[in-house]
Amino acid sequence: MDKEAYLKSLKESIVNLDFAGVVKSAQEAMEAGVDPNEAINQGMVAGMAIVGEKFEKGEYFLSELVVAAEVMKEGLNVITPYLKGEATKKLGKVVIATVAGDHHDLGKNIVSSLLRVQGFEVIDLGVDVSTEKIIAAVKEHQPDVVGMSALLTLTMPKMGEVIEALKKEGLRDRVKVIVGGTSITSEFAASIGADHKAVNALEGVKKSVEWVGNKARRN
Amino acid sequence: MAQMTRRERILKASHGERVDKLPFFHNWRHMQTGWAERECRNRGMGISWARPSYVTKIHDVDITEQRLIVEGNTVYRRTYSTPVGSVYVDEMRDAGTGEWHGMRSWRDVTPWHTARLIKGPEDYPVVKYIVEHTEYIADYFPIEQAKDWLGDEGLVMDIHPHQPMQMLMIDWVGSEGGRFFIHHARYPDLVEDLCRAISKSREAMYEIGARSPADIIWCGDNIDGVLVNPRLFEKYFMPEYEKMARICHQHGKLLASHMDGRVGVLKELIARTPIDIIEALHPPPMGDLSIGEALKAWPDKVIWVGFPGNIYSMGPEATRKHALDLLRDVVPGDRVCLEASTENIVSNENLLTLISVMEKADLPLTEEKINKIQ
Repeated sequence: MDKEAYLKSLKESIVNLDFAGVVKSAQEAMEAGVDPNEAINQGMVAGMAIVGEKFEKGEYFLSELVVAAEVMKEGLNVITPYLKGEATKKLGKVVIATVAGDHHDLGKNIVSSLLRVQGFEVIDLGVDVSTEKIIAAVKEHQPDVVGMSALLTLTMPKMGEVIEALKKEGLRDRVKVIVGGTSITSEFAASIGADHKAVNALEGVKKSVEWVGNKARRN
Repeated sequence: MAQMTRRERILKASHGERVDKLPFFHNWRHMQTGWAERECRNRGMGISWARPSYVTKIHDVDITEQRLIVEGNTVYRRTYSTPVGSVYVDEMRDAGTGEWHGMRSWRDVTPWHTARLIKGPEDYPVVKYIVEHTEYIADYFPIEQAKDWLGDEGLVMDIHPHQPMQMLMIDWVGSEGGRFFIHHARYPDLVEDLCRAISKSREAMYEIGARSPADIIWCGDNIDGVLVNPRLFEKYFMPEYEKMARICHQHGKLLASHMDGRVGVLKELIARTPIDIIEALHPPPMGDLSIGEALKAWPDKVIWVGFPGNIYSMGPEATRKHALDLLRDVVPGDRVCLEASTENIVSNENLLTLISVMEKADLPLTEEKINKIQ
């Protein structure tokens, strides 16, 4: 089997949501000496791109996005040891959290997974995260993007509280702020001073890629 | 048309009949008892009250609860010990949990399950054992009492838990981190086997509910098309609705399902279900299907509209505008009821704003009538 066949097999395992297949393909590719970076990027990440396209066309749903990311994790478990400490350059850094009082994390976790697939370093603070903790993380990690999620109308105002705290600490201009969640409207996002309201996980990730791309070009 | 009582109004509208006024009522579980609520009720607001028709007995399972500190948080761990193993659930309780209606806290939120009953494949047989050893016993006292207390002020529904697959998705496996989807992909046989066991065990409960004094059987399903995608809905949810509806309809009861999420993607499939009432349907900006569109898509169903919580958060003016837009969307106003709140606290000002619109919503609605209300 040539390199292209191994990459195709990895890609198809992701698209077909095949847990056993991805492990087998990853093992075979590594044993055959395929470059681990190529296996990841031209195999599995390429597969994730197809999953994303299918999601946008309505052929795949959220469940398939979640499972595809999980299948990719399995593949990465096999391939990562072959990277031999090679430092992979990160696309950018994101601090992400579900705001205080809210324990919903499905959307946030999918965004985190997709951001990692895209090459971002993601500092996921978890759920029910206080404003203070988010601000501390922004100071410590100096991210390009701050992502906040809330499902409850009760907890939505916490997002505005975080943005106000970012301003107070002189951090607001250094980061882009993206918010998401079922109750969040574009009007609400604008009213609290967020830069963007994610329509869905995929769109939020695309916006983040666009932001860091623009930043890289400016620099 | 002669003025109807609130109960008559809600019931007749729920059967698809023309009523005197667009029914407007508050969900009892989330009702902010006080002066504004009293004023609104004096001006015609009704109440919908959901109570169970049964109690359960779980045989040969020991259930214990202890208070623990897990990762710095106080949790209540309920452990179920069975002859085939044990499972536990950790619950984090907000201040006031149990003091508000339906185990809700002062902030009106239910306890968070920080560790779900089913964590891995080994837990499925244990939970199946619990399900198969759960007995449903009729107890109509809560419904009879609520009906007696409520009289003509509103109606009492029998409350059913999430249907089997939703029980797994929302309650027992949970969707945190996409866990349910991952289990469903990794262990489909275990998930489906447990789902079948729940469905079988629930048959007795459906029968008890259908024979109860409640007028409507309400399944608190929390359907959202983003989580319950069309493939899942068609394969697992529709057959269960058919089973539930068959039993309900045999006893002259209506079946309602709580669908307060983004259900646009499920529109065609919902039309094919035998559900009578789509309850708590949230129009945009919270949901993704307008009520007018839903009425067209579901010509044999009645819609109980859930007023979007994010409109409440924008204040009384936005609430008023949205209520008027809603009336315009449903002209002439048949097959529609409006619920003040199902999941979000309304605020006194918003509630008064709603009644100021709804008390004038005489049917059939016309553009002219709505302009007059405005």
